[in-house]
Amino acid sequence: MELITSLFPWITNGPLIAVQVMSGLSVGMFLFLISVGMSLIFGVTRIVNLAHGSFYMVSAYFMVTLIEVMPERALSFWIALLLAPVGVAILGGVIEVTLLRRIYRRDPMMQLILTFGLILVIGTLVLLVWGPDNKSVPRPDALAGSVRIFGQPFPSYYLLVLGLSPLVAVGLWLVFYRTRWGMLVRAATVDREMLGALGVNVSRLYTQVFVFGSWLAGLGGALAAPTVAVALGMDADVLINAFVVVVIGGLGSFAGSLISALLVGELQSFGILIFPAVSIVLLFAIMAVVLIVRPWGLLGRPEE
Amino acid sequence: MPRGIALWAIGLAAALVLPLVLSTFFIVLLIEIAVVALFATAFNLLMGFGGMVSFGHAAYFALGAYAAALLAQKAGWPMLAALAAAPFVAALGALVFGFFIVRLTHTYFAMLSLAFGQIVYTVIFKWTGLTGGDNGLLNIWPPALLRSQTAYYYFTLLVIGTSFLGLHAIVTSPFGYALRAIRENPRRARFIGVNVRRHQLYAFVLSGFFSGIAGGVFAFHNGSVFPDFAFFTKSFEPLVVVLLGGVQSFYGPLAGAFGFKMLEWLISKWAPIYWPLFLGAIVIAVIVLLPQGFVGLLGRRAWRPRPSIAK
Repeated sequence: MELITSLFPWITNGPLIAVQVMSGLSVGMFLFLISVGMSLIFGVTRIVNLAHGSFYMVSAYFMVTLIEVMPERALSFWIALLLAPVGVAILGGVIEVTLLRRIYRRDPMMQLILTFGLILVIGTLVLLVWGPDNKSVPRPDALAGSVRIFGQPFPSYYLLVLGLSPLVAVGLWLVFYRTRWGMLVRAATVDREMLGALGVNVSRLYTQVFVFGSWLAGLGGALAAPTVAVALGMDADVLINAFVVVVIGGLGSFAGSLISALLVGELQSFGILIFPAVSIVLLFAIMAVVLIVRPWGLLGRPEE
Repeated sequence: MPRGIALWAIGLAAALVLPLVLSTFFIVLLIEIAVVALFATAFNLLMGFGGMVSFGHAAYFALGAYAAALLAQKAGWPMLAALAAAPFVAALGALVFGFFIVRLTHTYFAMLSLAFGQIVYTVIFKWTGLTGGDNGLLNIWPPALLRSQTAYYYFTLLVIGTSFLGLHAIVTSPFGYALRAIRENPRRARFIGVNVRRHQLYAFVLSGFFSGIAGGVFAFHNGSVFPDFAFFTKSFEPLVVVLLGGVQSFYGPLAGAFGFKMLEWLISKWAPIYWPLFLGAIVIAVIVLLPQGFVGLLGRRAWRPRPSIAK
């Protein structure tokens, strides 16, 4: 016990642990928003969209511009929060219709490489439009400060994230399990050809799913914008994290994404305390173990 | 094959004579083309011949580059010894990671290779004491004899030319044909007695080995090494080169490397900021419009299975 407390002096600090758990939860919820979209798109179209992190980044930049151009200070954040993900959803729709639709029948590797190419294109366009300097998005006035939790300061903006994300999760569950569209989406993840044979317009479903997944990435980016420096490179950072989440949880699994996002969020939060230098390596090591033991992830389905 | 030999003779003569008439700038460009060509050809051993696409191949390039740099700078090894050790370090990395990676297929193969690649990048980036972190390692130069660009060009030509011969021998060996059999139909390959996983691992290690040579040669050419060598965007480079040149032809990546570097030079000259945009756009265009790559456009179909067999 003494060894443990000397190695990890924070272990007896209950309030610190509580705050750490909560910040891990907020990180996990961001990751969930992004990875569930990626997972959904894979489940239906069988494309691993590597440009998903780019959508997240574009949404954060949309927030920067929208808040700048809007005169009404008090409401501008909330309006931007609504509009930015819609903008990204439209972008996703355009990409699906013009590019991805042409390659659904091709080698999966080619699809992967194409979305990899999108990262470069979108990244450069963002650089050209917004310039190389980091931007910041102000937190809304009501959530600019911090609250005390067990005596420890906790940024109140994260409370919004913690409050909003379960709503999104429940909303997604309702969409997937309580609507006809959700049923079609779930059916498509099981057997696309059969769905087509039954008379469903699969091509339109693909577009809808891609737009919806892009919107989720946009929502994640818009929500995350006030918590990070809006900068080039956030696409790669978030992609890699989302990727780890999706792989651990299982591509195409809704519950898998949720569980694994929270797990990874907590791991990052505590990894920084335990192994400050190697927390990201720890993350990849866990992902590697999952890929070797259960390549299809905790709740995914084996590749046929 | 007299035509093949004639082509080789012309190519070799051109490679030997060109530096005498070109400016230093183009000699540097030729060195970089040679490095990219070797890296991409090593990568294509996996992608074109083995049907395995790695998204983290920059890791082995970086392992070679860092091994050469560290041995020369920190351990005080002579350049040739450091350079000779580089591919073995890269191959060792490829053996350890590849052991796990070849257990997976397709998408998952690509993802695990990316994950290991990012681990290598993170370790290089964070291990500031050894690798210099973000600042990289500077002042890694060859001995005085090879210091001029022309001398280093001939040295590069020798090392990379030999590596090409080695890779060509691998591709045309029984091992190379077994690899192609695995690419076309792993199950059938197993039925006829090919140990699929072991062959894939050997290919992975060999590919890492030659990527390490490219990395080592580049380290001494560049005079410095940086963590970016291992970043996942670097892994994109051989992929683009192979796509440009055409998958599944041995010389495709060589042609692709020329096209790639010339494009990079042209575009970087008037607008370096646009380079990644073009790179991405080229890849997207090649995939959507030219599934066989540019060499495929010319009608070269070396080692491509006949369509009836492919499907």
